[in-house]
Amino acid sequence: MTSAADSCRTPLVEAEGVSRAFRARQGLLGRRRDILAVREVDLTVARREAVGVVGESGCGKSTLGRLLLHLLKPTAGTVRFDGRTLAEIGGDRLRTLRRRMQLIFQDPYGSLDPRRTVGDQIADGMLIHGLATPAEARERVAGLLSQVGLDPAHAARLPHEFSGGQRQRVAIARALATGPDFVVADEPVSALDVSIQAQVVNLLADLRESLGLALVFISHDLHVVRHLCDRVAVMYLGRVVETGPAAAIFAAPAHPYTRALLAATPSLVRRRDSSRAPLAGELPSPSDPPSGCGFRTRCPFATTACAEAVPPLEAFGGDGRQVACVRVAEIG
Amino acid sequence: MERRDLHRLAVPLAVVGGIVALAAAAPLLPLADPVHIEVSARLTPPSEGHWLGQDEYGRDVLSRAIWGARASLAVSFLAAAIAGIAGTALGLLGGYFRGVVEILTVRSAEAVLCFPPLLLALLVVTLLGPGAGTLIVALSILYAPSYARVAYAETLAARNLDYVVAQEALGARSGRILLRTVLPNVAPPLLVQFSLTVASAMVLESGLSFLGLGVVPPEPSWGLMIRGARSTMDQAPWLLLWPCLALTGTIVALNMLCDALRDVLDPRGRTVSANPFRAFVSGLLPATEPAPAPPALLRVDGLHLAIGHGPGALPAVRDVSLAVAPGETLAVVGESGSGKTLTGLAILGLLPPVVRVTGGRILYTGRDGTTVDLARLGEPALRRLRGDELSMVFQDPSASLNPVHRVGDQVAETIRAHRDLSAAEARRRAVALLDRVGLPDAARRARAYPHELSGGQRQRAVIAAAIANGPRLLIADEPTTALDVTIQAQILELMAGLKAQAGGMGLIFVTHNLAVVSEIADRVVVMYVGEVVEEGPVAEVFGSPRHPYTAALVASVPEGDDDRLSAIPGVVPPLHDLPAGCRFAPRCGLAEPACTAGAPALESLGGGRSTRCRRWREVA
Amino acid sequence: MLGYAVRRSVVALGLVWVVATLVFLVIHLIPGDPAELLLSQGGFAPDPAAVAELRTQLGLDRPLPVQYGSYIGGLLHGDLGHSLLDEHPVAEEIALRLPRTLELIAAAALLAVVFGLPLGTLAALRAGGPADRALSVLAGVSMSVPVFVVGTLVVLVFAQKLRWVSAGGFTPFSRDPLEHLALLAMPAATIALGLAAVVFRMTRSSILEVLGRDYVRTAMAKGVAPLRIVVHHVIRNALIPVVTVLALHLGTLLGGTVLVEYVFNWPGLSGYLVNAVEARDYPEVMGIVLVISVLFVLLNLAVDLLYALLDPRVRHA
Repeated sequence: MTSAADSCRTPLVEAEGVSRAFRARQGLLGRRRDILAVREVDLTVARREAVGVVGESGCGKSTLGRLLLHLLKPTAGTVRFDGRTLAEIGGDRLRTLRRRMQLIFQDPYGSLDPRRTVGDQIADGMLIHGLATPAEARERVAGLLSQVGLDPAHAARLPHEFSGGQRQRVAIARALATGPDFVVADEPVSALDVSIQAQVVNLLADLRESLGLALVFISHDLHVVRHLCDRVAVMYLGRVVETGPAAAIFAAPAHPYTRALLAATPSLVRRRDSSRAPLAGELPSPSDPPSGCGFRTRCPFATTACAEAVPPLEAFGGDGRQVACVRVAEIG
Repeated sequence: MERRDLHRLAVPLAVVGGIVALAAAAPLLPLADPVHIEVSARLTPPSEGHWLGQDEYGRDVLSRAIWGARASLAVSFLAAAIAGIAGTALGLLGGYFRGVVEILTVRSAEAVLCFPPLLLALLVVTLLGPGAGTLIVALSILYAPSYARVAYAETLAARNLDYVVAQEALGARSGRILLRTVLPNVAPPLLVQFSLTVASAMVLESGLSFLGLGVVPPEPSWGLMIRGARSTMDQAPWLLLWPCLALTGTIVALNMLCDALRDVLDPRGRTVSANPFRAFVSGLLPATEPAPAPPALLRVDGLHLAIGHGPGALPAVRDVSLAVAPGETLAVVGESGSGKTLTGLAILGLLPPVVRVTGGRILYTGRDGTTVDLARLGEPALRRLRGDELSMVFQDPSASLNPVHRVGDQVAETIRAHRDLSAAEARRRAVALLDRVGLPDAARRARAYPHELSGGQRQRAVIAAAIANGPRLLIADEPTTALDVTIQAQILELMAGLKAQAGGMGLIFVTHNLAVVSEIADRVVVMYVGEVVEEGPVAEVFGSPRHPYTAALVASVPEGDDDRLSAIPGVVPPLHDLPAGCRFAPRCGLAEPACTAGAPALESLGGGRSTRCRRWREVA
Repeated sequence: MLGYAVRRSVVALGLVWVVATLVFLVIHLIPGDPAELLLSQGGFAPDPAAVAELRTQLGLDRPLPVQYGSYIGGLLHGDLGHSLLDEHPVAEEIALRLPRTLELIAAAALLAVVFGLPLGTLAALRAGGPADRALSVLAGVSMSVPVFVVGTLVVLVFAQKLRWVSAGGFTPFSRDPLEHLALLAMPAATIALGLAAVVFRMTRSSILEVLGRDYVRTAMAKGVAPLRIVVHHVIRNALIPVVTVLALHLGTLLGGTVLVEYVFNWPGLSGYLVNAVEARDYPEVMGIVLVISVLFVLLNLAVDLLYALLDPRVRHA
């Protein structure tokens, strides 16, 4: 099976230098300005790999997730899925390919159509792609519901009859219905209560294991990402500032932003170290980013050199880590 | 659709249906010929043969009124339907595809809206000449853009809904998405628009006919009948009555139908007693003897809160007791539906109108040393305490600030509500406060409007207003939940710092985040579906929980090194269906038959700790 | 704020041009030759020679762009053309009648706001109470009665039966101010009835919505007095949608006073318009439609600017 071995070596999803600008206009005659939500991001996801994308609001992580699925077109760069450049295949072939890539949303209340039964919504994908006859689809819906831990008899219910955690399970079932091999989960547990969050994270972990899914897990919660992902990309102001194995980054964050983010995350086991002041200032406007390194306005280590050029992601340490910081070696 | 909704729709639907049926049945009814002229019987009052009398040409008024309904209804329903179909199609396409399609559809349709409606209708009449056909054309052109606008706005909103994006992600074609997902979800407002359009088309139709520019005589129409009756109103005023009544009645019924539809289909429009001012009723509770020991700052004793009235009332908070000492930080932690937020609001007497205090005491010892029961205090006395001795910070800083007033003024407002100061002095103090909460360039920021500040800066401003009068107790309800982690850290740092400066200020911190609790609080109260299940010093409670729920919550925090998170099975029970006995028993690993037999009481364990579990010794 | 005003004004100017062009196109591109239409009254086919002569006289035989050029050129000089029937300049007649119509609308708007705003606020603060329910029903009915029905009944009751006032007409203010106002009262009140109901309903729902906002709860948590909360925090925010709706309705009234002017014999713009429509005097119709539409656009501009005054977020958008 050489071909299978080959396809295992090529990554499933490859983003190369993708950028996405949103045009914002002030008033009918106001100035147009581009807001660069994602800037020159490289990201690869191997088969069966789970990659976490972490950052605060406005860092571009959700936009990146939609770019990977080609739900948004990149304004620069390319996204390849299984070796094919998504921007080059259009219309029907792209729609056919969508069977293999799916999205799970943050808000379990908004992601389900309130007017249709959950069974119908789970069956949608199978019917759209002609994977099953309506009768077969019904049967598979029951199977999917029990797979995500819900009662198969509940297929005829409307979304409002379920709790938030249960709806998120329905949304997962819908995403799995077409048998995808790539799933982007956009903050799937942030709207849930802590006790329910753990249920859904565990479910995702189990499904990934049993179905061999490649997963991009977008979150602002570093701890959740650490539990679920092999690799992590930390984003700030549209750029990836640090990427590498999850365990290594959590043990010893290298980029000043990653460090600050970890330090700021409240912890149950460690009381705040009062000697370490929280990160000062706020996120700069994405429409008017600072020159050079985007983080330099809040960085305790910033020097004049940081304002001059955007630091490239460069290998750091021996564990496959990449960091975009000119001073990373000195401040270690 | 609920039964109540159907009930609300029934009356207007029946009336409109009746009118339509009557008009439709006109040819079948034994009516006189509506255009038969009998000059000798001109202006005869109602008689046996002519129940409503005869008009200025001796025509039968009853017959003309019913046949006239046909003209009016046909024109307005047809025009509304044509406009509806055309406008909806334009709006859907424009909203879904945007770009060039939007300009070709919605924007060009909107050009029509540059003209006042009656004027446009007159313009069409000028070009095409009067008549029912012209009216339908004119009214369709007139109303299509309104549909297009509504459909466009709704489609635009629906376009970004997650479940529409989900359809796209599934690989569905645009046509399928538009028809199966978008259209059903934008249909309700369009239905409302339809009934609205029929009513106003009717007004316009009758108005134009009244002017002699609509339906052409001798064809009957209500507008024409009023026009005719008007010319003879000094001789036969009753002739005015019938068409006026018929026209007004039909429009009233259509408008009622429209209102009912709007209420039923669009829950956003439902304004069920959102009025906080009506809730200010004090003295609902029987007076009780003062508590044996007055608290140093605040003690809540056996508080009960209910949502709603009568037998259907839900017991949202049951037997909650907690105390805060001066200078202490108490965290109230729980998941959604635990009653933590309501408990905080009850202390300040700010419960939403549907929630009532049904039992218990909220004892507070004020600056002057007297102890009052806040649950029984009248609104004027409470108002003097709020913002002065008792303060509150809410979750969403952008919603807590009034968008039309400057930030500094909103801080100064708190000061002036309680201190007799000049506006200038209050403003000066407001700037000092904003500076104290770490707002950079406070003097300039004080003149900014809320939307000009970032989320973290807004929360700083809200906190500045809350501490403006040096309160003895500050209640913060999820003050960092809407903020990013690095900003959350800043705000937590700020609150800790302010507390250290203020000396004796007590702080109640309501949150769902256990890690935040462990960073900021001295003691913690854990709540589950409206009850306190465990209480004690933070380090002890989280370090060695004495209630299975607390233990499970701590274990589910994704911080450990285990590969698998430990989750609490099952779901939080809804308030209307609470399990008997211990509320946590159905989800508890330690539950035994005795747990569901009777509700456990809060048991004191000494050392300031208590738990509501009979098997607490076995909780690992 | 100034930048915003300038931007909005430029947009409004563009709209005026669009409106003028649309009016021109509607008249010239829609099938049916105005000259033929004018001469064909009575159901007889008109004499082709007469039609041709009239076309030359009206300049309709010139190419469309030329006609459009002279039309826009005329507009820039304030020339709206002449009546087909009596050669009277359209602009002159409009200048005479427009102020009367505007006066009527202004009086009606004033009455509507004076009654609708306070009553709507009261109803919202007492939502669900007997006063609220009675007022809401009253508003529902007032809104539904067509103006010409109200007008006709008003004439019947107050002029015919009670003989308090004469049935309608107009006296210039300069000749007899009291009589002028007395004659203004009936048509203005007739329009105001429905308009007040609209203002009432909008005010009520808008205030109810604002009362439920977080910043009202925050103001209560600050210990601010209830009256100040209503005046300072609620009304200003609640006013924003009310202003929009009122302006929208005023715009509709620009052409919608036709019926009231007709019923009360008020010699405003509308009677002129109805006569012009009946006679198919298209330069007159075009002139009136254009003037009213331009006023409509200007009104919308005024609302946008007022909006910016009330809501600081708009200014910076």
